[in-house]
Amino acid sequence: MGGTQKKKFERGSATNYITRNRARKKLQLSLPDFRRLCILKGIYPHEPKHKKKVNKGSTAPRTFYLLKDIRFLLHEPIVAKFREYKIFVRKLRKAYGKTEWSAVERLKENKPTYKLDHIIKERYPSFIDALRDIDDALCMCFLFSTFARTGKCHVQTIQLCRRLTVEWMNYVIASRSLRKVFVSIKGMYYQAEVMGQLITWLVPYQFSHDHPTDVDYRVMATFTELYTTLLGFVNFRLYHSLNLVYPPKLDIKAESELKGENEDEYAMDSESYPEKLAALSASLARVVSTAEEEDAQLDAFPTEEEDLEKVEAREKEQMQLETQKKIFEGLKFFLNREVPRESLAFVIRCFGGEVSWDRSVCIGSTYDATDETITHQIVDRPNVDKSYINRYYIQPQWVYDCVNAKVLLPVEDYFLGVTLPPHLSPFVEEKDGDYVPPEKLKIMALQRGEKPEENDEDDDEEDEEQNEDDEDEAEEKNLKEMEKQKSQGKSLQVKVTPGKMKMENPVRLEQEEKAEEKRLAIMMMKKKEKYLYDKIMFGKKRKIREANKLAAKRKAFDDTEKAKKKKTKN
Amino acid sequence: NSSSITFNQTLPFKMAAARRLKRVAVSQPGFLGLKSNVKPSELVSSRRKRVNKNKKKNWNRHSDIHDVEDFLEDIRHQERTTGGLLSEKPDDSLFFLDVGQTDKAGNEGKASLVSPVTAYQQPNAKKLRRIAQKAEQLAAKGVLPRRQRRLLSRRPAEKTVKKAEANNNPDRDFYAMWGEEKVTDSADPWYLQQTGKKLVQRPEKLNQKPSVLPAVEVIAPGGSYNPDFLSHQALLQEAHDVEVQKQKQEDKLQRQLAFRKEDRATEVQTIISAVAACLYEDEDEAAAPNEDEADSALGAIAVAAKKTERQRKKEKAEKMKTQQQQASRRQTERQQQLFQLRSIKSSIKQQELQTKARRMKRKARQEAQKALPRRLGKLKYAQDLEVQLSDELAASLRQLKPEGSVLKDRFKSLQKRNLIEPRERAKFKRRLKVKYVEKRAFRQIT
Repeated sequence: MGGTQKKKFERGSATNYITRNRARKKLQLSLPDFRRLCILKGIYPHEPKHKKKVNKGSTAPRTFYLLKDIRFLLHEPIVAKFREYKIFVRKLRKAYGKTEWSAVERLKENKPTYKLDHIIKERYPSFIDALRDIDDALCMCFLFSTFARTGKCHVQTIQLCRRLTVEWMNYVIASRSLRKVFVSIKGMYYQAEVMGQLITWLVPYQFSHDHPTDVDYRVMATFTELYTTLLGFVNFRLYHSLNLVYPPKLDIKAESELKGENEDEYAMDSESYPEKLAALSASLARVVSTAEEEDAQLDAFPTEEEDLEKVEAREKEQMQLETQKKIFEGLKFFLNREVPRESLAFVIRCFGGEVSWDRSVCIGSTYDATDETITHQIVDRPNVDKSYINRYYIQPQWVYDCVNAKVLLPVEDYFLGVTLPPHLSPFVEEKDGDYVPPEKLKIMALQRGEKPEENDEDDDEEDEEQNEDDEDEAEEKNLKEMEKQKSQGKSLQVKVTPGKMKMENPVRLEQEEKAEEKRLAIMMMKKKEKYLYDKIMFGKKRKIREANKLAAKRKAFDDTEKAKKKKTKN
Repeated sequence: NSSSITFNQTLPFKMAAARRLKRVAVSQPGFLGLKSNVKPSELVSSRRKRVNKNKKKNWNRHSDIHDVEDFLEDIRHQERTTGGLLSEKPDDSLFFLDVGQTDKAGNEGKASLVSPVTAYQQPNAKKLRRIAQKAEQLAAKGVLPRRQRRLLSRRPAEKTVKKAEANNNPDRDFYAMWGEEKVTDSADPWYLQQTGKKLVQRPEKLNQKPSVLPAVEVIAPGGSYNPDFLSHQALLQEAHDVEVQKQKQEDKLQRQLAFRKEDRATEVQTIISAVAACLYEDEDEAAAPNEDEADSALGAIAVAAKKTERQRKKEKAEKMKTQQQQASRRQTERQQQLFQLRSIKSSIKQQELQTKARRMKRKARQEAQKALPRRLGKLKYAQDLEVQLSDELAASLRQLKPEGSVLKDRFKSLQKRNLIEPRERAKFKRRLKVKYVEKRAFRQIT
């Protein structure tokens, strides 16, 4: 056997991968430090295609990293900081053990820290890359800001997360970019459109939750560390794009409005400013103050490539979007104490409404419950003690449903004590032929501008049904009589009456013509093409059939519900 | 006693040091503790670490000879100061009789004539007095002498200790990272490279996301707090399917491990089998030797004879013949293939279609695989489905009880997108077994 024989596992995929422990030893880091470094730099383990080759014949499940990635990690300056920190801990422990308190103080003052700015610049070279990854960052920051400040994870991190999330919410309010809200059992999903990117994030409820034990907090804390830095820089850029001062300051006008008595009751002086920002009830200060906000009109660029239709369609869309951003403009809301204040304040202000709450809940309430100009009061109790005449008392779901429907829904369905219509998810896109729940159909009708039919009451429906039955019966009777007469041979008492002009609906005519053309085209198709066409239609019809089945199911359920209601009434 | 020692040893280092300090503080005189009814002297635990005084090493270290030392010190002091022990001195040297004051007028004579006035004379007293007065006047006006002015004008040493700011400082500053104007690097790239400050370029492959899934997956419409009937049913159906699968797996396992009825032998069967074994024993013995003889008779193997010339020639001719036949067959086949072109074409087309279909399927499967979580470690990815049953649905937002936790959801989402490997909490494994020994008192009872 010569020495030039090829040996197994010496080239190819076996040498491209490295196991986690080997990588750790190569970097001379401990396992938690290695994990932290990988998370910060964005180096993830890979599953090789041929595990047996990479694992040198065995199929034991191991974590593999690409060798090139690990080699890239060797050049990272943060690795030196990790090692310094390890030494710092060792020295600190020694000083404590020898009770050398001056040494302890000195060491604590010179604690080694690291900054992640260069990593952010390296991972996200352009602003749009950073915006694409901001979903995750937002979710983590919102999650950490709801943690209790017990000291399990650094309190500073929690404070920083709170500050960044408040800044983000203020930006979304100032730019009116919120598009969809979904209240689910897990938390609240929001979707905003920022600079052309659709950003979705999840906010947990503010109630206390017991933390699960099988989640690795160190990993989450490391992710949060990275994401807070990223979110901070993104916020800075977004604020500057809107010409707002960063770090955010309240508008002078708004601040003077907010100044109330007994501000010491809410927070210490040092904390009252961030708390006022967090109240989301005032607008932000701008770098160059504009006297009035003018609606900038889009310049009409005459493009020869696009048709006039497309340009018009785009303009129409733009106008629609503008109106949708202002659905709550001119409305004044008051939030009762039992509704989720922050979420509702955020949503209402995003669409131009004014909002306030009870003084005892939070800092920053602009007007009281006794204000006469309030148009809507959001209540979640079965009934209110004192009710004013010129305001609606509605449940909070109205706000969310209006935002999703992009139009003001009728308030009657959301009064106190009424069973609410279901809260539909705005993230579901229904294609043609799919089942559309009847509530959604109603909303779509409202969007188009048609008035909703009032058939909520059972009695009305019954009356209608009875009327219809009577009519049918009358017609049937007439026909029977006529038949009898004819069979008897009598001449019918048919008189010649002047003819009525049939009003031909031009729209209907057009539709009929189109249908005719379609039928002709189908008849003229070749056999092969017809075969394909039948197959497609079969698939489509199947969908429609399923949708009809679901609709029938829903109808059956509704009927049973009605029957139950009737029984309870009677 | 041993338990107290071990407890001290297992305390973290901070606490041990703090305890020592506390003992020191408490033993100071005048110490006032928080509890007024406890005397400070009792707080100092008189428990010292027990030392073995029988060892020679410890005679030097731990023997208390303070009293002897003090006595010897006292004797030395006496000898140093008074030259000999005080107890051995005569009375006259230590005491004297006090009779009263005698006239000392005679002693004063020449010494009193030397007047100390000259000792107090200063040559330029007037000048000094004038200087002092002037300084006083100026100080009253507020003008300070030059020396003090210079002292005050000396700038204090500026302590420019730049404290490194932690990354998670809540008041930290952010700056423009993606500058609107193209900010050229302030430093020369050659300089950066030569001084080793240039950052290594990030490889392109790292910018690809490890999974095509979106960062935030919105829950199905049945997960709304007030869901539509059918979407809620659909979600319940999904959860139900998952549970049914789990149940099926368990049942399968139970079935495989179950003990079959047929395997269990009843009493009657065992008796029959035992009796049958006895009965058929003799017959077996008789049958066995017969078979052996028959085998040997049949096992006559023919020994091969050597091949003759003729046989070899014959074989060769046969071989040639078959080869020729095959060649001619191939020739005719090739000629005939011309006429089979159409069928050949169609068969090729079919094969191509098949390979195309298979390729599409494989590609689709690969794409679907991309959306699945990869197997990155020992554990497999497990997904939880959050759903509230019909009777758990809340009547209003106020009564809503959130399901699942966002923390867990985010953790699982990170695993699903292949950013981290699925992990579980580390279990506490004992390296050495714990031996259970009863206390002597209990041993007597049990």
